[in-house]
Amino acid sequence: MSYELIAILMFSTMMLMLLTGQRVFGAIGFVAVMASLLLWGDRGGYDLGFAAAMKLMKWYPLLTLPMFIFMGYVLAESKIADDLYKMFHVWMGGLNGGLAIGTIGLMVLISAMNGLSVAGMAIGATIALPELLKRGYDKKMVTGVIQAGSSLGILVPPSVVLVLYAMIARQPVGQLWLAGILPGLMMAGMFILYIVIRCRVNPELGPALPKEERDVPMAEKLRLLRAGMLPLVIFAAMMVPFVNGWTSLVESSAIGALTAFAAAVLKGRMTRKVFEVSVRSTLGITCMFMWIILAALAFGAVFDGLGAVRAIETLFTERLNLNPWVILILMQLSFILMGTFLDDTAMLVIVAPLYVPLVGELGFDLIWYGVLYTITTQIAYMTPPFGYNLFLMRAMAPPEISLRDIYGSILPFVLVMTLALSIIMTFPQIALWLPDYIYNK
Amino acid sequence: MNFLRGYVAVIDRLNRWIGRLVMYGIFLMMGILLWSSISKTFFLPSLWTLEVAQFAMVAYYILGGPYSIQMGSNVRMDLLYSEWSHRRRAWTDAITVLFLIAYLGVMIFGGFDSLSYSLQYGERSPTAWRPYLWPIKVIMVTGLILMLLQAVSELFKDILRLRGDDIPREVI
Repeated sequence: MSYELIAILMFSTMMLMLLTGQRVFGAIGFVAVMASLLLWGDRGGYDLGFAAAMKLMKWYPLLTLPMFIFMGYVLAESKIADDLYKMFHVWMGGLNGGLAIGTIGLMVLISAMNGLSVAGMAIGATIALPELLKRGYDKKMVTGVIQAGSSLGILVPPSVVLVLYAMIARQPVGQLWLAGILPGLMMAGMFILYIVIRCRVNPELGPALPKEERDVPMAEKLRLLRAGMLPLVIFAAMMVPFVNGWTSLVESSAIGALTAFAAAVLKGRMTRKVFEVSVRSTLGITCMFMWIILAALAFGAVFDGLGAVRAIETLFTERLNLNPWVILILMQLSFILMGTFLDDTAMLVIVAPLYVPLVGELGFDLIWYGVLYTITTQIAYMTPPFGYNLFLMRAMAPPEISLRDIYGSILPFVLVMTLALSIIMTFPQIALWLPDYIYNK
Repeated sequence: MNFLRGYVAVIDRLNRWIGRLVMYGIFLMMGILLWSSISKTFFLPSLWTLEVAQFAMVAYYILGGPYSIQMGSNVRMDLLYSEWSHRRRAWTDAITVLFLIAYLGVMIFGGFDSLSYSLQYGERSPTAWRPYLWPIKVIMVTGLILMLLQAVSELFKDILRLRGDDIPREVI
């Protein structure tokens, strides 16, 4: 049997097994070790699964994973970020659509304190959304705002998705994170621009707060501005030692987790229940990620052994005679398409090990592709019918938001994100300027 | 049937206890990394922190794995799964969990192989600190065996469900 055929067989078996609803890591791991046994069973093929575990142990940056997950849970569960919303509420409420713009700002700040989109989603859906609805904001628009905004969590550092990408692409996490900053801010800016234009055209979508509600004394306004210090302090505690080279990335993540924990304790929000939920969920989510990565690493090792990536590259460039850019665009399109059917972890595991080496072979910059990859994941997160964020949103949003509203709300934001994706594709400097500047000064 | 019930009770309790213990490992890792940054900034950098942190991480997720299965943290692709009845889920799971068991079995086999090599030749990590590798491998193989026991427990639970027992799907 030819190697291409084996590769295709492995993929289709895995997809079939995933559809049975067994735990993802079990399905992937099974295909990997069985393929390895059948292919190289007589030459130590049975070692492959365990060898992946040893390889994973040596991959130091993965230690950031539990740290950022813990940070995210502490922030979401202790609700220390509540004041942030009030800050934006008071300062931005006077504008048409101001609260929606404030929500995007809120999401950017939350993104800078944790690496997944769940925390932003939880805070947005439970705190910001009810307030926005009460103020007569269009429910479709604000639902979209919260979903789009919370997806920034995986692009703005610290980002867990970029840590995982870094492992697969064998690229430095620090550079990837720096590369994510400007595109993240640019995208936030584009969301804001979209809200401003929509509300300018149709003010009913986001009415300004009435005069009496805006009459907050200046002292109170300034007090609330202090709430905005919290994310800055946490972000600075992590990033300053790291960028100055005093600590490594992993050490910084531990400092960040401790700072978030200390902030919750100091604010008196670290109750027994919050503590228990944060510690327990951190174990659960970390185990989920680690076991999937463990299985995926074995799967990828079999693929490497088969030389499957090389074969696919030859197929595209030599037999079909395609330009690398055309291939890249086709890849992103297929990626978005797959994202509508697969869930996020399955996608990371299936798509990344196949696409990332291919992009490298084609001669593109893998740091830059990391940013493209992340934005595509964000889009895939949000597109029906099976976007992960859609279901999270349904679980967390108030009951008057139906699944239909959620589906209907995301289209304009997906378009904005696709536009951002193509801008960054055309101008790689947006992503690469900052890491170049910091690392080559 | 009573044997199955007994097995499930014992294994789930053991794994839950271990999981609840290692979940505080997050603070251990934080402590190690914090010491690493302090010693690096103010004194001489410690040689051991990096690897001890790695060992702690491995113990954390491998020994915590069975508890994460109990909590239902491991994602499934639930396109079809979420639409099925409880009975159908139990049926499918009872069959497909055998894949998971096979995977873990091969892992354990490879693990023993690797462990016996470490013991025989006194394998050390190729770093400045040069720790022996067998202790962490013992932890890993133990964790994998516990994971296998938990997977079998999941199989038994599905069989019991099909027999009419009412067993909750996720326990925290």
